[in-house]
Amino acid sequence: MPANPRPTASRWCALETDPSGRARLSLRGAWHLPDLAAIQRALGAQSIPPRVIVSGADLESIDTSAAWMLAEALRAAGVAPRKVELQDFEAAPRRVLERVFELGEGSQTLPRRKRLGALAQFGKSAVEVGHTCAGHVTFLGETMLALLELLRHPGRLRLKELTVQFEQTGINAIPVVALVTLLIGIVIAYLLGLQAEKYGANLFVVDGVGIGATREFAPIIVAVIVAGRSGAAFTAQLGAMRLGEEIDAIRTLGLSPQQVLVVPRVLALMLSLPLLVFLGDVMSILGALWIAEPMLDITPDTFLARLREALSVRHVVVGLVKAPVFAFFIALIGTRMGMTVGRDTRAVGLATTSTVVQSIVAVILLDALFAIIFQRLGI
Amino acid sequence: MGVIEVDNVVTRFGEQPVHAGVNFSISAGTLVALIGGSGSGKSVLLREMIGLLRPDAGTVRVLGTDMWGDTEEEVDAVRRQIGVLFQDGALWSSLTVAQNVAAPMREHQKLPPPVVRAQVRLRLAQAGLPLSAATKLPSELSGGMRKRAALARALALEPQILFLDEPTSGLDPITARAFDTMVRGLVDDLGITVFIVTHDLDTLLGAVDRVIVLAQGRVRADGPVREVMHVDDPWVRSYFAVRTMLEGGDDGG
Repeated sequence: MPANPRPTASRWCALETDPSGRARLSLRGAWHLPDLAAIQRALGAQSIPPRVIVSGADLESIDTSAAWMLAEALRAAGVAPRKVELQDFEAAPRRVLERVFELGEGSQTLPRRKRLGALAQFGKSAVEVGHTCAGHVTFLGETMLALLELLRHPGRLRLKELTVQFEQTGINAIPVVALVTLLIGIVIAYLLGLQAEKYGANLFVVDGVGIGATREFAPIIVAVIVAGRSGAAFTAQLGAMRLGEEIDAIRTLGLSPQQVLVVPRVLALMLSLPLLVFLGDVMSILGALWIAEPMLDITPDTFLARLREALSVRHVVVGLVKAPVFAFFIALIGTRMGMTVGRDTRAVGLATTSTVVQSIVAVILLDALFAIIFQRLGI
Repeated sequence: MGVIEVDNVVTRFGEQPVHAGVNFSISAGTLVALIGGSGSGKSVLLREMIGLLRPDAGTVRVLGTDMWGDTEEEVDAVRRQIGVLFQDGALWSSLTVAQNVAAPMREHQKLPPPVVRAQVRLRLAQAGLPLSAATKLPSELSGGMRKRAALARALALEPQILFLDEPTSGLDPITARAFDTMVRGLVDDLGITVFIVTHDLDTLLGAVDRVIVLAQGRVRADGPVREVMHVDDPWVRSYFAVRTMLEGGDDGG
């Protein structure tokens, strides 16, 4: 009979003609998840005709994953699995097949997540950066208003929160800041000393270290450490609070999250960063002092005498003036990213990373700006 | 012998006793619920059963393997035969739903991608999720959808036993009942053993074969719901009191 398929068989199934002349797909063996690839190949090798019946006489057992592969093969052949006659099945496999055949209509393909092209991705990122910046400006305004409110009602300052934040951002940062700036002082003195020795200008190392460290290196390095330490901490703390709806709870109490959470952090960081920078100044000069004698034959007395001549106070002041400005922006970015984080844990992680990057970029941009301003002013 | 055997499990957190010798055995193809007050150590017991937390004494056998005595390989082999639905889904947040469901298959089976994709479709359909959910990230799903997606992942490796930690908490009653029906179907049609930690009275009355009550560190009652309801224990009585009251009201009206 031409209507009937050529008999084909494999370890898993066989297509044959039953006594009444109908096409019959006979399943063989145990159909389970580990053999799915082989089962799919075996089914794919059969050209299943539209009016097929399925026989389970030789089937040992079947699980849902394998039953689904059969359903898929039937659908691909244009057969609705639900309407297929099941022949000679034991109760358990029959139930599995019936259950699985009820699921899902037609042979649908799984949708894939759309990927943007390079240009579209670039545009999307640009728009996002724009939104972030606009959001920062709004947040800056809100924070300024909260600070102004504080001028009129000083009683609203949360002293306790301020001290806690000062401890965490300032006092607890002392060891790491001291260590890093000490090492930086040593490294600058060493590198300058290598060059200065060639010209016999050993003593000028003191000028270099004194001015360089107090005016530029200490403020920048300390600000970067604080951005990584406290900026990230602000985002993580506020982000976690936002996840737990704690910020909403503050709002529903009629309190301003700006006043309760943001202002104490901003003020605490603006207080602690200049102090840390001063510590950084001292430590980096100490580092240079330490290495000056063994490497450059500059005794501590000579070093200090030269330092008094070379380092005018204005360089130190320039460094210390920059610190609160850095602090203001680090705190602003950190709290803003935390307050507006998406409501899932992954978003908190992303926002924290973003805070660190943004704060460091902000610090370096501000420093460049300061350099231009001070140069114009001739300071 | 049951597929799960909990034998004299003792747990302490520091000085605080949690389990003072818990015993029960669960036979294949049943839907068993564990209930108990907050802090009675239900979730702790569940974590001990799936091999995440070591009990201070006693043994837990799952599919014949001692989860805390046998080798790591044997325990891993059991882990591939059980599915766990954590309370809030515990979907991996950086992967889409489809990738979450595919992950166990990718890790443990060498299946070609088209087969994996077909299997993901099956599991989504089994869990009652539309195909459009496949490309979403967990953060883009509602609570009920997240639980379904997590169930789809738990089913990915054809588990013999499913552990569900408060599967219907946070769901509306209609979604919760649909979830019960789905789980019941897994037990009846596929012969999967299901162990639920729950607080949901409707789940207990509508879908469960057997209830185990945990209180004061021990099993206080164990049996079909209708029997456990009438056990003479203060906690059990007040637990079911609301329901008895409501049902009494219905009869009167």
